[in-house]
Amino acid sequence: MGKIFTLQHYLIVLIACIVSVYLHSSIVYAAKDENRYKIENQFVKFGLYPRTPEQMAAFYEGRGFPRQAIEATKQHCFITVGMRNISKTKIWLDLSRWRIYDKQGDIARTSRDQWKQKWQQRNVSLASQATFNWTLLPETRDLHPDEPVGGNITLQPTDHPFTIEAVFATGEDQKGKPLVIKIDNIRCLKNGDTAP
Amino acid sequence: MKRLLHSLVFLILSSPAGLVLAEVKMPDGIIKLDGSNAPVLQLDDVDGNTYNISQSRGKWVFVHFWAAWCGPCRREMPTVQRMTEQLADSPIDIVLVNTAETDDEVFNFLGVVAPELSTLMDRDGLVTERWQPRGLPASFFVNPEGKLEYIALGGREWDKPQYLNFIKALINAKN
Repeated sequence: MGKIFTLQHYLIVLIACIVSVYLHSSIVYAAKDENRYKIENQFVKFGLYPRTPEQMAAFYEGRGFPRQAIEATKQHCFITVGMRNISKTKIWLDLSRWRIYDKQGDIARTSRDQWKQKWQQRNVSLASQATFNWTLLPETRDLHPDEPVGGNITLQPTDHPFTIEAVFATGEDQKGKPLVIKIDNIRCLKNGDTAP
Repeated sequence: MKRLLHSLVFLILSSPAGLVLAEVKMPDGIIKLDGSNAPVLQLDDVDGNTYNISQSRGKWVFVHFWAAWCGPCRREMPTVQRMTEQLADSPIDIVLVNTAETDDEVFNFLGVVAPELSTLMDRDGLVTERWQPRGLPASFFVNPEGKLEYIALGGREWDKPQYLNFIKALINAKN
């Protein structure tokens, strides 16, 4: 009979363990393709799409936004987020649990309430405010199975590559294993860059 | 005893609650709401005709919020038109609400993509806000008593049999 377990057997077991740990890990990393960052695992389809200032200005200009509003949008780095819950349980989006940072530290995100203040200071019409709000990613959302959510997050511009670490609670009562999506080397696009 | 049991089953199934129980399985992406009163909805359409949701009392109402800039809304709208055609003779009101756009934006889009549809104009977006949709597009089903019964999560192909059958079952269950 000889030896029952050869080195090959041990190697197979080791590889199986590594694969198993990988498959059950809740931390997932994105693949980058032409300034798009996409992830698909057993929980979510998730994508980040940085936009150029011109791209966003054209979008809002086309919808009749006043110049003072367009100028305000140009001071920000827009990233469109698209996400779908492909699991069988609830996934909880909460932007306060997202950490965005580069080598110099945390990068500020402008919240929905902060935008509202900006629009009120600039006398932007309610219609434009409503449109802008609907283009933002919700601050919080319980995502049902198969539910999509999408919208922009707006950041303080940085020249450095940065990381987004997004933490999501899972489960009906938010007590499931947290899902963490970490994406490195994201860039704020400048005019002339290839936008997705 | 057997006759009593049959009578009991008949009574349950013929009651409104029993008819709801007998509904078809909910299709993908439709979730049940808490049955609270539907928010106020009174708006003009592009021709200036006023609609108030209270005038649909006694019928199911499909309330659909949309905007032309929204990609999923653009993909979904032709299916809303086909669904409307399929339900033309059914006792359900299909109500579209455009969120915070201008007449030109609406004409340019609907005129090409779904010319048979008309929409209410929520010009400042405040009615949409009051309904608290989970995003755009958003579709609510309001029951004949004026209560929020279901919401669709995101866009979908409304003219597919699973959705048409669901809507027909709702109508039949409540009439």
